[in-house]
Amino acid sequence: MEDIIISTLQRAMVAGTPLLLATTGEVICERSGILNLGVEGVMAMGAVVAFMVTMTTGNPWLGVLAALAAGMMFSIIHAFASVTLQANQVVSGLAMTMLGLGFSGMLGKSYVGKPLSIKMEDWVIPYLSDIPWLGKILFSQGPFFYIAIFLALAAWFFLEKTRLGIQIRSTGENPKATETQGVNVFKLKYLSVITGGGFSALAGAHLSISYSKSWIEGMTAGRGWIAIALTIFALWNPARAIWAAFLFGGIFVVQYLLQPLGISPNFLAMLPYLATLLILLLISLKDPKKLNAPAMLGEPYKRGER
Amino acid sequence: MKKWMVLVLLCSIFCLGFSADAFAGDKKLKAGFIYVGPVGDYGWSHAHDLGRQYAEKKFPWLETIFVESVGESDSARIIDRLIQQQKCDVVFTTSFGYMEETIAAGTRYPDKLFMHCSGFKRSANVGTYFGDLYQMYYLNGIMAGALTKTNKIGYVAAFPIPELVRHIDAFALGIKAANPAAKLNVKWIYAWYGPDKAKEAAEALIAEGCDALAFTEDTPAVVEVGQSHSEKGKQIYTFSHYSPMQPYGVDSVVSGQLMNWGGMYAEILESIHNKTWNNKDLWWLAREKAAILGGSETDMINPKFVKALKEAMLDTKDSGKISAYDLVVKRYEQMKQGVDIFDPFTGPISDNKGTLKIKAGEKASKGDLLGIMYYVDNVEGAIPN
Repeated sequence: MEDIIISTLQRAMVAGTPLLLATTGEVICERSGILNLGVEGVMAMGAVVAFMVTMTTGNPWLGVLAALAAGMMFSIIHAFASVTLQANQVVSGLAMTMLGLGFSGMLGKSYVGKPLSIKMEDWVIPYLSDIPWLGKILFSQGPFFYIAIFLALAAWFFLEKTRLGIQIRSTGENPKATETQGVNVFKLKYLSVITGGGFSALAGAHLSISYSKSWIEGMTAGRGWIAIALTIFALWNPARAIWAAFLFGGIFVVQYLLQPLGISPNFLAMLPYLATLLILLLISLKDPKKLNAPAMLGEPYKRGER
Repeated sequence: MKKWMVLVLLCSIFCLGFSADAFAGDKKLKAGFIYVGPVGDYGWSHAHDLGRQYAEKKFPWLETIFVESVGESDSARIIDRLIQQQKCDVVFTTSFGYMEETIAAGTRYPDKLFMHCSGFKRSANVGTYFGDLYQMYYLNGIMAGALTKTNKIGYVAAFPIPELVRHIDAFALGIKAANPAAKLNVKWIYAWYGPDKAKEAAEALIAEGCDALAFTEDTPAVVEVGQSHSEKGKQIYTFSHYSPMQPYGVDSVVSGQLMNWGGMYAEILESIHNKTWNNKDLWWLAREKAAILGGSETDMINPKFVKALKEAMLDTKDSGKISAYDLVVKRYEQMKQGVDIFDPFTGPISDNKGTLKIKAGEKASKGDLLGIMYYVDNVEGAIPN
C-alpha cells in the first residue's frame, strides 16, 4: 500500500510538471491581456525541436535551449497577429494550435521510432532525498520538476513584486491608463506572449526528452488545453498554479489505480475541466471581483481609440 | 508560316497519341491505402505502411499512394478521391471502422477492387484480410510466466473489444502453461494512441506489484516504463507489440510480437496483377509468416534473457520436463505448421467466473475467437462494458 501511495504521488509530480510549465507561461501571457489558445501547438513545436536537437547533438540541454528559442520565435506569429494586427485572438490562437501540431508532425517524421539513448538523470538531492515518503516524492525527481517549480515561483515574484511585472498586469487591466504612464504597451504584450511561448515549449521539451524520451506525432495529447483551463483554475496566479498543476497531474495518474474499482476513466478525464467550471461558478457567485481575470483579456488594444 | 505551325501541331498530337498507346501496354497497377492513424504512430498504421513500401519495392509494375489520419467518417470521401482523382485500381482500407463505407464504395465502383482489413463483410469486389497475433501473445505469456518473481503480471490494453480480449486470453493461457500461480491484471486506457495514458497505466501496474508487462496499443510507452525501472535496478520484463521496440528497452524487452504486412500485401497485389484475385477472407497467422515472434528485427528473444529462460524448467503434458525457452521454440514451430498441430485455445478452458467455455480436447473455432468476450480463469477482474 505504501508503495502504491508513494508511486502515485511521485507520478503525479511528473505528470503535473508540463502542466505547471505551460500554465505559468499562459498566466504571464494572459496577464498582459492576450489570450493564447495556441499553447498546444507551441508545446508540440517545443517537443519536436527539443527531440531533434537532443538526438543530433547528444546534449539534452542544447535541446532544451533550442526548444525555448523555437517556442519563442513561433509565438511571434501570435504576438504579431494579436498585438500589431489587432486580429481576433481566439482565431489566431486556434490557428497556432493547428499549425504547430501539423508542422511538428512534418518536421519530426523521420524521428519517429527512434529512441533517445541520452537521458536526463534524476536530480537526487542529498540528505533531503533520504526523508521517508517526501524524499522519494519531492527530492529525487527529474530536472524539469525543479525547473518548473522554480520558474513558477519566479513568475509569481516577477508579476507581483517587480515594476515590470506590475506594468504587465496593468496592461492587461487597462492598457490605455498604462500607456499614459509612459509604458510601451505593445512592447510589453509582445514580451509576455513570447515569454509564454517559451514556457509552453519547455513543457513540450519535458514531454519528448524527459517524460517519454521519444517523439511521436500528437504526443502533447491535449495538455495545452488543460493548461488553459488551469490558468483560470489558478485564478491567474503562478503560485496557485503549482498546487493546481500537481492536483491535475494526480487526477491523471490516479485514474488507472481507480479502474479496478469500476470508476469510469472517462469521468476522471473530464474532472480537470469540471473542476475549472466549478471554481469559476463558485467564485463568480460569491464575489466576481475575486476572480481576478485581467479586465481586458482577449480585447485588442488600439492606440488612440476610446 | 501558319501552315507550318499547323503541321507541327498535328505531328505532336500524333506523337502524343502514339506515346500514350505505348505506355498503356505496361500500365502500372495503382493501389491506394487509407490509414486511420499517422504513419508515424510506430504501431498499426506504421506497420501497414512498411508493408506498402515493401510491396512497392518488390513489384516494378506497382504504384502506391497513401492517405494517413483518416477519420472513420471521412473514409467515403477519401475513397472517392483515390478512385476518381488518383485513378487507383485497388483501395486498401485499414481500419475496422471503414467497413460500411468500403462495402458501399464496392457498389459505387463495380469495376474497382477493395480490400478491407479486419472486417467481416465482403461483396463481389470487396475482400477482407487480417493478420492476427494471438499465437505470439501465447508464446510471450509462457516467457512472462517463467520469468515473473511476484506472480503478478500486467497488461495495458486499448479498448475492450474481442481482438484485445483474444490477445489478453492467449497471453494468460501462455502464463498458465508456464506458471499456474501467476495472475494477469489488465488496465484499459481507451485509446489506440495515447503514450501518456499507456505510461501511467504501466506505472500503476508496477506500483501494484507487477513485474512483467504486455500491451496492445500503438506506442512504445510501456517498454519505456519497463526500461526506466530496469535501469534503476528493479527488473521489469516487457513484451514489445507490433513494431520492433527492443531498441526502446534493451534491458527490459524479452520478446514480443511483430506483424509482417509486407508478405500479405505482396500476395494480394500479385493475385490482382495475375487476375487470380477472389474475395475469400484472408486470415494470416504464424503459418503464413504474418505473425512473427520477437521484439527486434534480429533476435527472436533478447539474448539478455535467454539464459534465465533456459534455466526455468516447466512441466508439460506432451513433452514432460522442458525449459521455458525450449517450450517457446517448440510451440512456435508447431504454430508455424498450422493451428491443427497446436493452438492456444484448446480446451478445457474456463472463464474467470468458473464457467467451462471450451470443452476438453476441443479447439475454439475462428468464429469463437473473433467474438471472444470473456477472461480466462487466471485473469483478474471483469471486462468493462
